[in-house]
Order: sequence, then C-alpha cells, then structure tokens
Amino acid sequence: MSEHQPKQKKIRPPRSFGWMAEYEDENQLLDAARKVRDAGYSRIDAFTPFPVHGIDEALNIRRTRLPWFSLVAGMTGTTVALLLQWWTNAFDYPYIISGKPYASWPAFIPVTFELTVLFAAFMTVFAMLGLNGLPKFNNPVFTDPKFDRATDDRFFLWVDSRDQYFNAEKVRELLEATGAKAVEEVWEDDSPTEVPKSIYAGIAVLILITLIPGAIVLNMRNSRSPYPRWHIFFDMDFQPSRKAQQPTTIFADGRVQRPPVPGTVARGELGPNDPFLLGYDPEGVAMGKGAAVNVQMVSYQQENSASQEPIEEPPAPPPPQPDTSAADDPQASATADASSEQAGEAPSKPAGDQAPTTAEDEGDAGAGPAAEGEPNYAWLERFPLPVDAELIEVGRREFEQNCAACHGLAGYGDGLVSRRATELAQGYWLQPTSLHEQRIIDQPVGRIYYTITHGKGKMAPYADALTPRERWAVVAYVRVLQRSQNARPEDVPADADLASARGDDTTNR
Amino acid sequence: MASIAVSEVDNTIDTPGRRTPLVTGDQTYASVTHMVSRISEESQPLIWWLTFAVAFPSLLMFGCLIIYLFLTGVGVWGNMSPVFWGWPIVNFVFWVGIGHAGTLISAILYLFRQNWRTSINRAAEAMTIFAVICAGTFPGIHVGRVWFAYWLTPYPSLNLWMWPQFRSPLLWDVFAVGTYASVSLIFWYMGMIPDLATFRDRSKSRLRRMIYGILCLGWSGSSRHWMRYEKAYSILSALATPLVLSVHTVVSFDFAVSQLPGWHTTIFPPYFVAGAIFSGFGMVLTLLIPVRAIYNLKHLITPRHLDNMCKIILATGSMVGLAYVTEFFMAWYSQNKYEYDTFVFRAFGPYWWAYWIMFTCNVISPQVFWFKVFRRNTILMWIVTIFVNIGMWFERFVITVTSLARDFLPSSWGYFSPTWVDIGMLVGSFGLFTTLFLLFCKYLPVVAVSEVKGVMSQHAHAEHRHGHGGDH
Repeated sequence: MSEHQPKQKKIRPPRSFGWMAEYEDENQLLDAARKVRDAGYSRIDAFTPFPVHGIDEALNIRRTRLPWFSLVAGMTGTTVALLLQWWTNAFDYPYIISGKPYASWPAFIPVTFELTVLFAAFMTVFAMLGLNGLPKFNNPVFTDPKFDRATDDRFFLWVDSRDQYFNAEKVRELLEATGAKAVEEVWEDDSPTEVPKSIYAGIAVLILITLIPGAIVLNMRNSRSPYPRWHIFFDMDFQPSRKAQQPTTIFADGRVQRPPVPGTVARGELGPNDPFLLGYDPEGVAMGKGAAVNVQMVSYQQENSASQEPIEEPPAPPPPQPDTSAADDPQASATADASSEQAGEAPSKPAGDQAPTTAEDEGDAGAGPAAEGEPNYAWLERFPLPVDAELIEVGRREFEQNCAACHGLAGYGDGLVSRRATELAQGYWLQPTSLHEQRIIDQPVGRIYYTITHGKGKMAPYADALTPRERWAVVAYVRVLQRSQNARPEDVPADADLASARGDDTTNR
Repeated sequence: MASIAVSEVDNTIDTPGRRTPLVTGDQTYASVTHMVSRISEESQPLIWWLTFAVAFPSLLMFGCLIIYLFLTGVGVWGNMSPVFWGWPIVNFVFWVGIGHAGTLISAILYLFRQNWRTSINRAAEAMTIFAVICAGTFPGIHVGRVWFAYWLTPYPSLNLWMWPQFRSPLLWDVFAVGTYASVSLIFWYMGMIPDLATFRDRSKSRLRRMIYGILCLGWSGSSRHWMRYEKAYSILSALATPLVLSVHTVVSFDFAVSQLPGWHTTIFPPYFVAGAIFSGFGMVLTLLIPVRAIYNLKHLITPRHLDNMCKIILATGSMVGLAYVTEFFMAWYSQNKYEYDTFVFRAFGPYWWAYWIMFTCNVISPQVFWFKVFRRNTILMWIVTIFVNIGMWFERFVITVTSLARDFLPSSWGYFSPTWVDIGMLVGSFGLFTTLFLLFCKYLPVVAVSEVKGVMSQHAHAEHRHGHGGDH
C-alpha cells in the first residue's frame, strides 16, 4: 500500500484536500460531527462502514431528490409499455386473437406493470450512482492507508479544505478536541490518474472482436456469392419427408402417395350414388314445369351464368317448385350458404354457393325459384325402405329428441325454443317452419330427407346426429304428423276407438 | 463498543424486555468483517473442491446437451403428443419458483423491518440470480428454432413486418422473468457494492485490489452516499415487492389462462406464489446449512435464523397444502366432470406416484417443523429441505404433465416418459446452479457485512437505551 503514500519528489508541493479524524465508535463520530457542524463548517462528510443512524442530521445532509427520478422513470415505463402495446397490437399490426379487441387494455396490464418496475428500478440504481458521482476511482481519501478501515470498523470525519471557514490549524484543533483516535491531513493523490494506454488498447481490441460476427452477417447480407447457402441445420432446410408426386424407394411402386387402405371411405364419398343416402336419384331427371334437363346440366348452366356478368345467355331453365317464392322464404340465401358447407357430402348437387349471386342478378329477368338456391334434384317420391310401425316409432323418438324443441311436438313450429324467443320478443327471431304448411305437405319425402340432412336457413344439418335410417324414420313421422293434423273425416275408420285416439292426440301435443 | 455479550448460541428464545441478539459470540465490527472476508481470501476447503469437481462437469454436460439439442431438434426430449410441455417447462417453473426467496428476503422482509434477514439475504439473492439463470435457459432452448428466439422481443423487423402478440401470457412471461432477472441482478449488485469495497480495502495483491476496486465503483462510504444508497434500497424494495409476487403470478398465467382442466383455475396465482416462497426458502436452507457449517458462520447465521426460515417453510407448505385441497374441492364442487376427472386422474391415475410424492414432501414433511427439535437440529432440517425441493419439482411435474396427458379425446391420451437428455439436462441445470453458487462463495461476500454491522449498531443502541431506563 506504499503506492498510496504521497510522493515528495515533485517540484510542486502536493495540495491539501482537508482534514480527516478517525474514530472507533459511531457514537464518538456522531458527537464529533455535531461539534464540527455547530462550529460552522458545512463542507463536512463522514466515511463509515455502514449507514450510521442520525448522521444525516449531524452533518446537515439534505434529503435526496432520488425518489423523483424513480417516479418519473416509472411513469415513463408505464407510458412506454402502453404505447408499445397499443402501437404494435392495435395500430401497426392489428389482428384479432381470442376475440379480444385490438387494444385489450386488461391484457396489456402485466407487461405495463413489468416495464414500470423495470424502468423505475434501473433509474433508481443509476440515479443513485449518478447523484453520488460514482463510479469514481480516484478519491483523495484513498491516499491514506488508514482509510482502508473505513469499510471495516473505523469511522472517519472529514472537513474539506474548500470550506469557507477552513483554516488548517483550527480544524486540526477542533478535531483533536473531539477525542479522535487520529487526525490527519489528506493530500492530493499524485499517482498517475490516466488509465494506462494498454488498457485502452485492450478494450478497443475487445470491442473489435465483438463486432466481428455482426460484420460477417452484414457482409453476407449485402454481397453476392457463387456458393450455395450455408446450412447450419441441414435437416431443418431439407427435411427427410417427401413432397407430393415425388418418387421414393420405400414403397414397391416407387410412389410417395399411397392408395387408400382397402375398406376405408374418404369423407363425403360414402355411397355417392345411393338414393337412400342422398334423398334423390342422382341419375334421374329433375321433374320441373316443362323442363326436363339433366341435373348436371342445370348446375353447369348456373355456374356459367354466375361467372359471366352481364348475362348474355338466356337464364337457366326455371327449376320446379313454383310454389316456393322468394317472399315465402326469406332465408333463401342463408340456405345456400348452409348447403354449400355441406358440399363435401353432396358431391353432385348444383353449385349452391353461386346460386345466391345468380338470384340477385337474375331477379328482374324473371328467373325461376331455382335461382334462390333451392336444390333441383329428382327427389324420391317414395320411401326407399319399408315403412312400418317400428320405423315410425324410431321417427317419433328422434323427432321429439331433435326436432320438437323448435318445431313443436306436433310440428306447428311452436317448440319451447320458439315460444321462449317469442316471449322475450326478440325481433330477429324467425318462427320455425310449421310442418303443416301446404308447401311442406307437398314436398316429396326425398326433399324433407334432404332438408334434415343438410339443414335449411337457421336449422342445422342433422347428418351428424342421425343415421340415414333415423332420418328416413323422422320423415316418416313427419308424414304421420301431417296426416294426423290434416285429417279428413273419411280418414277416420268407421270402427275407430275415439277414446284412444284422443289419448294419442294429447301425448303428441 | 458494539460487542454483544451473549456467549450462549441459543437465541431462539425471546426474553420479554430484551432484544434477542441476531449476531452471537461477542462479535466486533472487525471480527464480522474478518469472518466473511476470509472466506474469499483464504483457500477453499476440500469440500468446496470436491463439490466443484462434481458440479462443473455437470455444467459442461449441460452445455453439450444443449448443443446436441440445437443440432438435432426438440425430439431429443420426451415431449410427445399429447404432452408437449415436458420436463423443460417443469424445470423452468421449478427454478423460477426457487428464485423467489432471495428477493422476498431482500425486499419484503426489508419493508417489514425483519432485521434477521441481513445475515442471509446476500446468499439468498445470489441463489435467486442463479436459479433465474437456470430457469431462463429452459424456455430459451424450448422454442424449437432457437436461432429465432429473438423474435420474442418487440423490435421493428423489416423481414417479418410483424410484432409480438401482447395478449398472450407467454409473452407476459418473457417480460416478467426478464424484468425479474434484471431487477434482481441489479438489486443484488447494488447491495454488494459496500461489501466489495470492504474486499478492496482488505486486498493484499494489486490485481485483487484493482478488480474489486472496479467492481465496487470506487465506493468510499461517504455518509452522503450512504443516504442516497439507503433511499435507493428502500425504493428498490418497494418496487421489488410487487415484482416478486407478480413473477410467479404471470408464470401461473401460462397455465391458468389456457382452458385445460387442471390448469384453468383462478387459484393458480396465489398458489404458485406460496409454492415459490416455499421452495425458495427450502433451497435457501439447503444451501445455507452447509455454508454456515463449512465456513463457520454460525455466529452470523444463528439458530434463530434457521428457526425463522423453518417457520416460513411450515407456513407456506401448509398454504400449498390448502391449495391442493382447494383444487380438489373446486373440482368436486364445480360438478364439471372434466375438471373432476382430471383431479381424480392426478391422484389415482397412472401418475398417482408423482402426486403422492408431491403431497407427502410438500404438505406432510414440513409439518415436522411444529416441533422444536426439528427447528434446532440442522441435519434433520436439511433432510426436510431436500424433501421440500423434491416435492416442489414434482408439483410442477404433476401440474404440467398430468393435465396434458389426458386430452379431451380418450384416443389422444398418453403417458409421458423422459429421455436420457431430459434427465441429463435436469442434472446439468443443478450443475450450473451449484457451479455458480460455489464461485459466488469463492469470490464474493457471502454475507451482507455492512448490513449486519448496521443491525449490530442498532442493537447496541437499543441495549444502551434499555440500560438507561428507556430514556431517549
């Protein structure tokens, strides 16, 4: 520690910085500090191994401005976080996630809190160091080897030579009078203050080394090379899995794509031509008013007319079902949308998704109701399976489980859901269709089956909930309901048991 | 002068009207300085080198495994459908939880003026930093394409034209753990500045003096500096207190904001925070019991300190137990069959062993701290803390893996099996943690010397006042 001793070789005598008194106890230090303060000195300080309680008052140390720095930094953190999140997620790159609004303030709170703490904490530490003038590696007090105990077990009182009342002798006397263990004058540190050149050079080399990777990346990004890209993770860039249509050596036929496993059915390919599953005969001819056009043909023409605007060709031949008009069925376009979703299950039906456009385009041209998106098929007029009491019983069960909630137990469109919606006076609620409307009664069984399978308007498709046989059973039960609710006197057998008929009626309603 | 005339080390008993000493054995300021500084100044004991000889190769293995992971892909782990969050996330949550005790001791106990914290806060903060380093490693290497991990930061990218998604708990987690790591680091460093100056002033060699001189930023011990330093310490404590509670809260959001039965519960934030404090104190004791024995710090880290920590472990362990029971109650009370089945599966399904290891270690084993003999005998205490560590790892395992293993579709149910890489990485993370802690013991002040001296001074004043009939 001899290097800290002031060297006397210099021509200029070393400058005195002040006087320092050493104490063994924090209480002695406090008493001394009060005496020195009361003597009128203001440029005084104490150096202690731990914060001594009461020293602030004894030395007249003013309160620090530090909390204001923390407060401002914390508020800056809050603002930065909110602006950052709003800018990035609500303004510059808005996208919906989990149905939340773009500016989801509650979801922004955690990051806002974290950044507030982050900014305030860093500012607190750096402002503390800055206000303390740290880091400061040459301090005149360090010149005295005795001072090393200021961080161990000794307490030092310091009077600066720049104090306005400073007088070296008086200060020494005052300090000695306080019972100091030692009183010493502190001299200027005349050891070289410049950092050695080699340290600067070392730092410069380190900085240059850290710049090398970045420089290589920059160079690579801004230059051309005859060589292919360098792949660090080769199997990430060239994955062993094969793409479609590529050859392979794994399979005997050399093809990547595999045929379906025997016995499997692809989605939408179950019995594509089975009227039992479809509700219509795909090979048959749609029976319409004066039109005997193949279904396929109709759909082609609809596609054409939809893609060509303005229409130059005559519109598609009007399909059947003249009894269904646009006014009757306000859900026409919705129907088309719903049925287009089911495209996978009805491969040969007309291009339903283009039908609404056609309808609007051709509305004035006097096109038929087919333009509303009504499917135009050769509907089955007869049940494709034997109808017996057991089937009707299945139909009753499934109808009451699946259909009656809306359509009502007797099919008048007055199910519980409908009644509740009417009670709540929801303006947008459409009464479910009564199954006893004439147009429903007139519909072929295949048409009703098709509606159950694919849904219509607000009604969901029931293909997932009911097997084809159950759907046909429901159709049969619908027919039973229609027959029962629209019965003519001659339907009643002469020997009918009226009492049991009444009983049936009450259970159905 | 500030010596405390208590030779008997039993300071776990409070005598009315007398302040119980927190530093025993007739210490002076100089003897306290010496007791701590000599750890770094003298050569390390044999046990240090033996531990280092185990820990450092584990750390190297960890590094090699990470390189292997990078070059091969995340398939080297046992993460497999449906358990996509396997051991890496378990280890992450485990280590983050451990990292809670340090800042809790430094900040919350400081605000509550719990003076006994001064002997243990430095080591606990160091443990926090090292645990958070271990924790931060796992999500960092878990992202799959690690070379794009910087996409998590919100920077204006000319290539992506995209920003991070601030409505996701996973991004909150990045900010929470990042803030916690940096604030804990700066808090720890700031607390160490005066003690680094002590090291500087005691240095015999010029190099050592220069290095510690730079590290302590030229600290002189000026009273003006101390005043701002103490103010900064209070502000940091006030900032770190909500921060420490927020970190595990946000980590629990990673789970709770999802809609998985077993994860989607509002109890998670307090439950995770209690578990974090529990595991953190468990790890503090696991480390400090050997440290105080090896470095002979029994007069600074006294039986009273250990006793207090055991009581905190007992309290938080019971809170965790309450959380486990509450989860089951809610699963039953909600009458949500998926929630209910998840919990029945946890306790009685194929993972029953993990659940009951967790329950036994976390809830039952700390109950022994009701008895004084366990709070006095350091060996028994150490064994219990090992159980606490095991139990808390299994808690993270149970929460993460059992909830994922049973997907909604029974066809997707699975059973998680770790690979040798998983096991190696868990061991390797302990190697990283232990290596850092050993280096900390060797090079940095293990006890906050200046704060202990401050407490000694206060105590001496209190005794002084007491002796004079309480006059001011």
